[in-house]
Amino acid sequence: MAISEEQVRHVAMLARLSLTEEEVVSFGRDLNSILVHIDTIQRLDLQGVEPTAHPLDAVNVTRPDVVSPGLSRADALRNAPDSDGRAFAIPRIMGIEGGDE
Amino acid sequence: MAKDRLRELFADWEAVIGLEIHTELTACATKMFCGCPVEFAGEPNTRVCPVCLGMPGALPTPNARAIEMTVLAGLSVSCEIARESRFHRKQYFYPDMPSNYQISQYDQPFCGLGFIDIQIDGPEAKQRIDRDTAANVSPIDGDGAAYSARIGITRIHLEEDTGKMVHVGGAEGRLQGATRSLIDFNRAGTPLIELVTEPDIRTPEEARRFAQQMRLTWLALGISDCNMEEGSMRVDANVSVRRRGEKGFGTKAEIKNLNSFKSLHDGVAYEIVRQIETLEAGGSVIQETRHWDASAKRTSALRSKEQAHDYRYFPDPDIVPFVLSDEWIEGLRATLPELPAARRQRYRTEFGLSAYDAGALVSDADLATLFEETLGLTGAAKAKAVANVVLNDVAAFLNAEGVALAQSRLTPGGIAELVELVSDGVISSKQAKEVFAEMAASGQMPAEIADTRGMRQVSDHSAIEEVVDRVLAANASQVESFRSGKTGLLGFFVGQVIKEMGGQANPKVVSEILGRKLGSGG
Repeated sequence: MAISEEQVRHVAMLARLSLTEEEVVSFGRDLNSILVHIDTIQRLDLQGVEPTAHPLDAVNVTRPDVVSPGLSRADALRNAPDSDGRAFAIPRIMGIEGGDE
Repeated sequence: MAKDRLRELFADWEAVIGLEIHTELTACATKMFCGCPVEFAGEPNTRVCPVCLGMPGALPTPNARAIEMTVLAGLSVSCEIARESRFHRKQYFYPDMPSNYQISQYDQPFCGLGFIDIQIDGPEAKQRIDRDTAANVSPIDGDGAAYSARIGITRIHLEEDTGKMVHVGGAEGRLQGATRSLIDFNRAGTPLIELVTEPDIRTPEEARRFAQQMRLTWLALGISDCNMEEGSMRVDANVSVRRRGEKGFGTKAEIKNLNSFKSLHDGVAYEIVRQIETLEAGGSVIQETRHWDASAKRTSALRSKEQAHDYRYFPDPDIVPFVLSDEWIEGLRATLPELPAARRQRYRTEFGLSAYDAGALVSDADLATLFEETLGLTGAAKAKAVANVVLNDVAAFLNAEGVALAQSRLTPGGIAELVELVSDGVISSKQAKEVFAEMAASGQMPAEIADTRGMRQVSDHSAIEEVVDRVLAANASQVESFRSGKTGLLGFFVGQVIKEMGGQANPKVVSEILGRKLGSGG
């Protein structure tokens, strides 16, 4: 299985990464070597083996519904590139559709 | 206008509607994956931590109570509960979601297929023109005035809510024309359940009744305050149309911003008419998201990117899977309260109420409680009379005053006494209206009011007989005419007697005595 440059660009767009032409080629190469490894695994007979999404055997790890201290607002906003002292401020949003709209 | 047009179009066309209902589990003390408090409003960014701000390295841990509530929600609508479940990451970019993915559920939600039965009554029942033949529909009361429809539920999954944005510089906080946006992450991470229905809904009224019943159900479970204005319950509708008799689905549009039950009904009705008119004019419906504008009363397309969504779901490696035991699930099932459909059924069979009255009482938890507590005092035999006072007098009073029952002076004891005064013939039903108004205004008990106002009807037979004799003696010629066949004169005699007694004679007793005396020639 080989990944095309087109697919590399698509995946980069979904992750909001802008790649140079050279990066498209080199990331394509890296991704391909991962896919080759997956191909090796796919040649094994995995009939009856449950897909593994987690390496641990643990299940049902939860926490009780009890309040714990969070961050002060000053700390929360400390790394923000822009804020009005109360909220995170961001530039105008261009043509995307999201939860609130 | 729209309603008439809809009825016209429904002769040839059928609407296919599915709903997606997001509900915040506001009864949780804390967020879905961190210990920040769940509250509404307040100063921005004061209930946040590294987890709900999506900071690198922060580890989410699921809230046990939120999972219980989700499974309880599923059990309340007859969902199959998954024995194995897990959380996935849903990847997309929007500034109100700090980690650039939402922790949600994908192919293993906590709750699978389920259903509820909704009741449609009143004039809107007529929107469903195939209500006598449709497979998921059955009549109630047999008079065609009300029907029950079974609506399938596809799934209920648990996820985290996003933050809130305010767009600055545009109109009314909307995105269009905004120069920048401010983000408050207080809401980010609030536990949120999403219920998705099968495309089983056929009319705007069914959509409204379904959503109302889900709200009542969540309220009965105590998992959310379901406040649509504050956004703790949010409804989106998928709407398509097809010619009657067709089996395939038309192209659907998703309607958003339906933030009241009226908006849900009107937005869906508008969209159905729009789609049918588009198709009848030779156009085609485009698959898109549309925004309901409640003041302009129309939907309009939202700007959106051409490409299809590509969320690249994968199991969240930060959260281990869930394995739910039968024992744990059955333990939760045992805590389920009485739910709306069962309660409506009980009011009809146990108390003999009409479908309409049962539905109206069940749709308002306060009125239903008042009804049941009053019945506890009067006994179930007076259920219809109590229901009448609660649904007419009480509901109208609360509506007119704009107050909740708890803020009023109305009590089960007061309502019970009023109903009994009328049924014992002490006051007339006309006088009862006056007594009710006084009781609601002052909090005085009905018997006391009737006494102070000298309202007590005289039902004492000997006192009435005395007056009847006097009246008959004074109107000998009318008595003659009555006996020779002019029986319509009975009303005249009743009126005379009541007038003679200052309006306080019980009309039923008066007619009885008059009938006896005139009939027997005495």
